[in-house]
Amino acid sequence: MKPNRREFIESATLAIAAGSTLMAQENGSGSIPKRPLGRTGLQVSAIGVGGYHLGSAKDLSEARAIVDAAIDAGINFFDNAWDYHDGGSEEWLGAALKGKRDRVVLMTKVCTHGRDKNVAMQMLEESLRRLQTDHLDVWQIHEVIYDNDPDLIFRPNGAAEALVQAKKDGKVRFVGFTGHKDPSIHLKMLSHDFPFDTVQMPLNCLDATFRSFEQQVLPEVNRRGIAALGMKSMGGSGELVSNGVVTAAEALRYAMSLPVAVTISGMESPDVLRQNLETARGFQPMPPAEMQKLRDRCRFAASDGRFELFKTTKKYDGDVGRKQHGFPDASELPA
Amino acid sequence: MPQPSAIPTRRFGRHDVQISALGFGGHHLGDAPDESTAVRMVHDAIDGGITFFDNCWEYHRGKTEDWMGKGLKGRRDRVFLMTKVCTHGRDKDLALRMLDESLHRLQTDHLDLWQIHGVAFDNDPELFIRKGGAAEALDQAKKDGRARFVGFTGHKHPDIHLKMLATGYPFDSVQMPLNAFDGSFRSFEQKVLPELNRRGIAALGMKPLSGHGDAIKAGVISAEESLRYAMSLPVTTTITGIDKPEILQQNLRVAQNFKAMTAEEMKALRDRVCTEAADGRFELYKLSLKFDNPEARLAHQFPLDMKSVEVQEMVMATDNTGHPFPKPNK
Repeated sequence: MKPNRREFIESATLAIAAGSTLMAQENGSGSIPKRPLGRTGLQVSAIGVGGYHLGSAKDLSEARAIVDAAIDAGINFFDNAWDYHDGGSEEWLGAALKGKRDRVVLMTKVCTHGRDKNVAMQMLEESLRRLQTDHLDVWQIHEVIYDNDPDLIFRPNGAAEALVQAKKDGKVRFVGFTGHKDPSIHLKMLSHDFPFDTVQMPLNCLDATFRSFEQQVLPEVNRRGIAALGMKSMGGSGELVSNGVVTAAEALRYAMSLPVAVTISGMESPDVLRQNLETARGFQPMPPAEMQKLRDRCRFAASDGRFELFKTTKKYDGDVGRKQHGFPDASELPA
Repeated sequence: MPQPSAIPTRRFGRHDVQISALGFGGHHLGDAPDESTAVRMVHDAIDGGITFFDNCWEYHRGKTEDWMGKGLKGRRDRVFLMTKVCTHGRDKDLALRMLDESLHRLQTDHLDLWQIHGVAFDNDPELFIRKGGAAEALDQAKKDGRARFVGFTGHKHPDIHLKMLATGYPFDSVQMPLNAFDGSFRSFEQKVLPELNRRGIAALGMKPLSGHGDAIKAGVISAEESLRYAMSLPVTTTITGIDKPEILQQNLRVAQNFKAMTAEEMKALRDRVCTEAADGRFELYKLSLKFDNPEARLAHQFPLDMKSVEVQEMVMATDNTGHPFPKPNK
């Protein structure tokens, strides 16, 4: 994907303006800023469409409407995973992107959960077929959330070798990993010094003070020039908002104001997309003092992880990974 | 105190008190088929040489304290009785009300040991030591002579235990999961136990069968190996759940014939199970809410899991003698 002139100017402006108030536009109007995706040379929209929630849309035509409207609004980053809705999310996104594939940065994830390279390569073929494309822009190892996942991924014939192979074959341009559990597991992944292009992690105003990816992982990822992809800006299922800790706009604005390439947000309906666009259009980063104030306000709610259940319970841990790791499935062990 | 018995006794931390190397876990007593079986199990345990009895204010909503109280009637002075308080961050007054209820149910005027239960959330240490927090209740109970010694327990993460120790509170005992899986995974054995030994705090091991014995059912380790490993660590006692007379007899046999594993045997066992230990699959108390009791979840506003056996047993299927907290909506 080559940036056109307008996008290029916007991203250049944003790079200058990040953290300051140089831009005159207000949130809700104007275009969605673009940012460099680490050192890949790609430019991505500051907000991305989360693949799991896309698969929760009413039907394919609604999913298509979300994707169309997102692209029209200037969103070019699309997230997905091999196991979302048993492949349904990838299929819908593939159908919706037909004829528009070259306008987006397409990411999906591989769900080896400790299994070997061959399993990963088979999943890649399935993802490509469902997404109706011959290559991914970004391919990430999904749900690195068990303490021994890094060891399993980097063992001989493990999933890391699949990343190398897929890049060599031209089936993926860039590679990374994601996980929602604990900063220490992310740091263990990084300690292998594998040339990751992207790293995805939960980033929100509660994470800022609790088992904090923002404090422990984000600076390291930035230092290495790896693109940081934020997720769970509202707690995974809107817990921060539904429990009255912050408003949706505050939560998204905080996450987008961090030094990340993109904040991936679940949008299961055109309404949610519209809401997100309110914040993303003409986005102005929060001034540091305001971010600090918000962190302070959220400190108590953050301090036991009650609203970041992906860190403190099994609720967000998928069945594919649980099975590989010998854990009871979600119906037996919901949290 | 104890009659001469075949179960070894050990010193309770820095105090000149001896307790049995095997402790009777209170939660499982509530799983006994009926009250008279429970009472008989308590009697048989004492006759078999067990002197350490564990319990908790919230177990089966008071049922296990009730049953243990009945079992200990006339035998109270032969045992070292512990129960736990379930403030989970809430204040001193609540803790002292729970103490009154526990003493009443256990039919005694004092506890040998009173511990803070379920220190499992990252902010529990701050909430414990805050002004008006549960630490003040421990002080008060000691001063009143209603608790001889005080401590805390938790099953979640060694770092939370270390944070409790860092509050500087003078604990007499600390309880934690200790088993061959813990030996290499988020390890209390490696991170907490040496610190307790250094400070002269009595270390109480629990979950020798790693919770509900899933690893034994999966054939990864035997019950006897598990218990022997836990008892071979430098702990004062190993608390194990006893829910039926056969289990009591089985545990008494292991304890009465106890011979500590050598360091080499222990290492060999840790190594043998290290693959299964590495993702915590057999230590669900460290990784899931499954072992976080309803009272803890309510106090911390975590979701109650109505499918969980613990929640069903403790909130729904038993009488709630443990006011002052309302039952959650079913």
